[in-house]
Amino acid sequence: MTPPTPGSVPQPHPLLNRRRFLSDAGFGLGAIALTHLLGTEGLLAASVSGKQPLRPAIDPSHPFAPRAPHHLPKAHKVLVIFCSGACSHLDTFDYKPELIRRHGQPMPGQDKLITFQGEQGALTRSPWEFRPRGQCGKMVSDLLPRLGDCVDDLCFIHSMQGKTNTHGPGENFMSTGYTLDGFPSMGSWVTYALGTGNQTLPSYVAIPDPRGKPQNSVNNWGSGFLPAAFQGTAFNAASPIRNLARPDRIQPGSDQATRDFLTRLNERHLERFPGDTELAARIASYELAARMQLSVPEVADLGSEPDHILRLYGAHETGSKVKDIRAAYARNCILARRLLEKGVRFVQLFNGAYQTGGEGVSNWDGHKDLLNQYSVHGPVLDQPTAGLLLDLKQRGLLQDTLVVWCTEFGRMPTFQKGAQGRDHNPRGFTCWLAGAGVKAPFSYGATDEFGYQAADKITTVYDLHATVLHLLGLDHERLTFYHNGLERRLTDVHGHVVSDILA
Amino acid sequence: MLVVLATQCGAASEPTAPAQPAIDFARDLRPILESHCFECHGPAKQKADLRLDRRSAALRGGDGGPAIVPGRSGDSLLLHRITATSPDEVMPPKGDRLSEREVGVLRAWIDQGAVWPEDRPGAEAEEAHWAFQPLRETKIPAAGTGEDSRSAAPAQPIDAFIQEHLRKAGLTLSPEAPRQVLIRRLYLVLLGVHPTFEEVRAFEADPRSDAFERLVDQVLNDPRYGERWARHWLDVIRFAESNGFETNRERPTAWKFRDYIIAAFNEDLPYDRFIREQIAGDALGAPIATGFLVGGPVDIVGSPDPVLTAQQRADELDDMVNTTGTAFLGLTLGCARCHSHKFDPIEQREYYSLAAVFSGVRHGETPLPIPPEQADAKARADARVADLERRLARFIAPTAATTNAVPVSQQRPPVNARLNTEAFAPIEARRVRFSILASTGGEPCLDELEVYDGERNVALHTAGTRATASGTLPGYEIHKLEHLNDGKVGNSRSWISNTPGKGWVQLEFPGLTRIDRVVWSRDREGSFADRLPTDYRIEVATGEEQWTLVASSADRLPVAAQPGAKTTPAIVYRFDGLPVEEAELGRQWQAELERTRKELATLAKPPTTYAGQFREPGSTHRLHRGDPMQKREAVAPGTLALFRPLTMAADEPEQKRRLQLADWIASPENPLTARVLVNRVWQHHFGVGLVDTPNDFGRNGARPTHPELLDWLASDFMQHGWSIKGLQRRIVLSRAWRQSHAPRAEALAVDAADRLLWRFPPRRLEAEAIRDCVLEASGALVRTGGGPSFHLHEVDRENVYHYHPKERFGPDEFRRMIYAYKVRMEHDGIFGSFDCPDGSLVAPKRSISTTPLQALNLFNSTFVLDQAERLAARVSQEAGSDLPAQVQRAWELAFQRGPAADESKEAVLLAQSHGLPALARALLNANEFLFIP
Repeated sequence: MTPPTPGSVPQPHPLLNRRRFLSDAGFGLGAIALTHLLGTEGLLAASVSGKQPLRPAIDPSHPFAPRAPHHLPKAHKVLVIFCSGACSHLDTFDYKPELIRRHGQPMPGQDKLITFQGEQGALTRSPWEFRPRGQCGKMVSDLLPRLGDCVDDLCFIHSMQGKTNTHGPGENFMSTGYTLDGFPSMGSWVTYALGTGNQTLPSYVAIPDPRGKPQNSVNNWGSGFLPAAFQGTAFNAASPIRNLARPDRIQPGSDQATRDFLTRLNERHLERFPGDTELAARIASYELAARMQLSVPEVADLGSEPDHILRLYGAHETGSKVKDIRAAYARNCILARRLLEKGVRFVQLFNGAYQTGGEGVSNWDGHKDLLNQYSVHGPVLDQPTAGLLLDLKQRGLLQDTLVVWCTEFGRMPTFQKGAQGRDHNPRGFTCWLAGAGVKAPFSYGATDEFGYQAADKITTVYDLHATVLHLLGLDHERLTFYHNGLERRLTDVHGHVVSDILA
Repeated sequence: MLVVLATQCGAASEPTAPAQPAIDFARDLRPILESHCFECHGPAKQKADLRLDRRSAALRGGDGGPAIVPGRSGDSLLLHRITATSPDEVMPPKGDRLSEREVGVLRAWIDQGAVWPEDRPGAEAEEAHWAFQPLRETKIPAAGTGEDSRSAAPAQPIDAFIQEHLRKAGLTLSPEAPRQVLIRRLYLVLLGVHPTFEEVRAFEADPRSDAFERLVDQVLNDPRYGERWARHWLDVIRFAESNGFETNRERPTAWKFRDYIIAAFNEDLPYDRFIREQIAGDALGAPIATGFLVGGPVDIVGSPDPVLTAQQRADELDDMVNTTGTAFLGLTLGCARCHSHKFDPIEQREYYSLAAVFSGVRHGETPLPIPPEQADAKARADARVADLERRLARFIAPTAATTNAVPVSQQRPPVNARLNTEAFAPIEARRVRFSILASTGGEPCLDELEVYDGERNVALHTAGTRATASGTLPGYEIHKLEHLNDGKVGNSRSWISNTPGKGWVQLEFPGLTRIDRVVWSRDREGSFADRLPTDYRIEVATGEEQWTLVASSADRLPVAAQPGAKTTPAIVYRFDGLPVEEAELGRQWQAELERTRKELATLAKPPTTYAGQFREPGSTHRLHRGDPMQKREAVAPGTLALFRPLTMAADEPEQKRRLQLADWIASPENPLTARVLVNRVWQHHFGVGLVDTPNDFGRNGARPTHPELLDWLASDFMQHGWSIKGLQRRIVLSRAWRQSHAPRAEALAVDAADRLLWRFPPRRLEAEAIRDCVLEASGALVRTGGGPSFHLHEVDRENVYHYHPKERFGPDEFRRMIYAYKVRMEHDGIFGSFDCPDGSLVAPKRSISTTPLQALNLFNSTFVLDQAERLAARVSQEAGSDLPAQVQRAWELAFQRGPAADESKEAVLLAQSHGLPALARALLNANEFLFIP
């Protein structure tokens, strides 16, 4: 061993131009270190589908840089509206005359049926009347009259099928493509593939309901085994991003001076390790964080929204339980629009929470007393969501934004034995899409005559995911990430693009 | 194209000669199968579970049974389907049918005995896959020469292998890193915290030639080593302390398993023993170790829906099979749950053989042996309670239950909700009636009624016993008469009468049966104590009417008042009308009795831990497409066929199944076990493994960069008693590990990713190590090891648990992060963003991403600001008021070196204008602080 000099410091080289270095890194060493970062070196490249994976090329110092899709996309941004708790298709969008006609009778051939909570009672019609809506005359219930007015812009899939009747696994399945915990969410896959157009805002934002988090909490927007860079950033109109703002105890001048000092410290350190993209990436991340400190409060500040917009969403009116929740959810809807307007790639807006009460109280899980429970949830969802759709449309945002309304599964056409509500039902339910690349007005697939099981053009959650990726210009069989021995996909080994609904 | 046409034309004119020349499989038949069959019955798909590109699979057949019967083409399903005329039957269902010539080749091949040589090219590759071969005897290459000898460190065998590859690429090792770098690297990699500046100084000044060796030995014996390395293993085995899924409830005793892992590393438990204990520790005196089996997520949402219940159970077993496969064998077995593995030679049947090994394992709080001190204390409390009860007997107020003739001193204990035994002289019975005359609040409830003949429960409905009742509370799926004798306990499998305080149930045996006791309970799981029968009679009859009383509540003490319990106080001590002193004494005894009973209740409980619970399982079946509703043939427990396959009896005792599997995995001949482990250890020293896919040593995984080195390390590891510390000592003493991390342009151009190890690859610390280092620098770190976890979250314990990241932390939360409650799905509010896995899935390798959220958390969080202030205060305290001296000390605490002149100048300026905490905040955010150099 060479004799050491106590406390010796490597001699600094002249300061590099870091910006030039970072841009060099993007073309040279950065790309090499990237494969290292993603652990994809030297692997056999065949995925299960037999197709070659098309992994995005990510520069670790610019993980959110926009990246090219696989084919020409119809949509550039996605808004997912997720009704947590399993919103009943039979009381909203899936009109079943036979269910009304046979109200009070047992469901033929299913008299011994045991579902999630137990035995089933008789077929039960919705407490809300269905009426023809819009130009197209689509039947929607009186629970959601304003969304009913939007039907000419909607593309319904009435033949959705899940594969679990439990909320946690169900929400996982809809959000991540797996019933188990720990897999990357759809938004993570999309931002992993495409990066984002706005470098000063998070690429993927999850907006939790004003009442709290959904049933499976942050797993709905987690990044699973994808790098943490691609996880959803959670905030809503009422609670900002944690640690975003300059802490109260730090004066602005001090904050800036500390930041500048840190930058010089890190740059001097980097001189000793030319070519190390991870070090450079950390320096860049503090710059991006500083820009986010300006841009996120700006986008989250609804103060500039005019009165007619607040009224459109129902954000103006408070004073009762329903109105208060509606106004808070409406503010989240306005926030969603503002984020999409600024180019955020993926926005996931939640309606319903598990946190503030058990089943049915603050989410769509109407087992016991559907009429009273949905009499709160319907009005909370209806006007703000319809307002959001109208606002997106009038601003031209629907041209490049795909809207997906979904829930973890549907509910039974029967009431539960001894109760006034519907049990879980993954065998058939409804989702709808709107905006870029989908037909509207359009209805695809159908459940059976009672709305119990998907019967015509059965559509799996994998199919829905494959279709969303397709509209974004991504081949769901080729968008992969190597983890734990497998080229993982959002759609596992399943899924077909539902081409009939493409515009 | 022309050639094909010509062949087909030729084929059409060819007679389907019965006397075919000898068919060569590879030359004649395989191309036919390839073009017509493999698309659906090949590597990518195995429709009807039939696979025709592998000899063993093809001869075994698929869902329809064997496809080929050698020598008998007429009996071979394959030929039958290919020549079928019905469109429902004919194969292939789409595309061109086989030509007559092709059918002729197939028929002749079968009739000639279906000779399918093992050594076809595909099979060769399959069998010869490097990781499935025994470890190769490797010769250590000749030691490096020339430039490589720049290092003062003695060359290790590892270096010979590394240098050989470097030489081929025209590269050399870098010179040895300065001692300041070397000791920081050693501490961060092995202990997960920085050394102190004083330790750095001492090492730099150590003149002994073996200074580094001594340091390594000292560090490997530091208890912080286990705290660091347990984290890596816990990632590999998806350990967490909550259930995951929507309920995500806590597992408050799971920390004992975490402590077990820490101790295993610190004690250098031989790895083969470590494997055995985790799989079958209940048989080896290490019951806590079986926390491994049930460390994964579990969906506890109960439902009467049988499909859901079966799916949940299948998912639990899948988690055990998968984790065992990836952790110990580096194989992804999960694919084989639905179909035979597409890349590795793992059949679907083998997956279910492994599932059968674990089929008796369940999740739960598992009792551990009561420690002797607790047993002694319990015995003392027992005696005291008995004594006090005797003394107090004379104060008992007369009640209905105590007016009978049995003296108090001879009465049995009061009934309780968990378990009551009514023993009597053996008697022949046809029927047993349990009549309830009174109960605590509401309609009485029984979760299980058992009647015994010796050790046999003759009450079970599976034994043919029929239950009837006075009535059953209507409308509840969980409270039904059939639950009374279904062998399942707990409130959700119970019977409730339809009359408040009253009711009867009756069991009728298939014939006259000898019985000697009745065992009954309200809720054996202990969650409910209401609805408890307190006044009851148990009678038996041989014929229709003649009832004989065999037991009743008459000789039981009344149910005592228990604070908070929903039971009716039945024993009443009365002190009125007695002399003052006597009454006072009685009251004191009563108070002491109540106190002692409470203590006793705690002392009587054995300590528990979240570990495996074991029951003899039923049969395991292969599930078609992994669907629990599509059971196929029964599968006996066994191991993979990869090496020395082991099949057990279908009814092999539960524990023996796991023991045998553990032995099979921990065998020195298992080609995967040692390779996989040494690769994991290597990975955490160099950032990347020799095999870059640590959980996939199969054909789809990466190949080793240094295959000979991997095999040499694996052999050496086993020869040295599977000692992980011994392996690590070899690694850190190598020149490769001790070399500088400085980049070199000429080497970057050849091997930018540094897979050949021409320099030590620096990398960012993981979440836990960053937090630990911040606390260490500020002086706040609490070194207490082990014990219950501290919470990084506030917890709302509703039916579903909610976790909210804490904003403020105190000394309770200043222990190392390995001791933080590991909650599934919810990340720590600050360090969770640093690619910290949540234990939902196995995480053999963490990604290292860099995000603005990380920057915000580390720069703005209350936690880091508080620690920056502490660091500043520590600096002032240790360095006095002179600013340059403070800066010097701050550098020493954060980077274990002094500042360069210009660094010091700028730092002084910052501290002058904005205070020392501002400087401390910057240092805790610096790259130099966060990187392993």
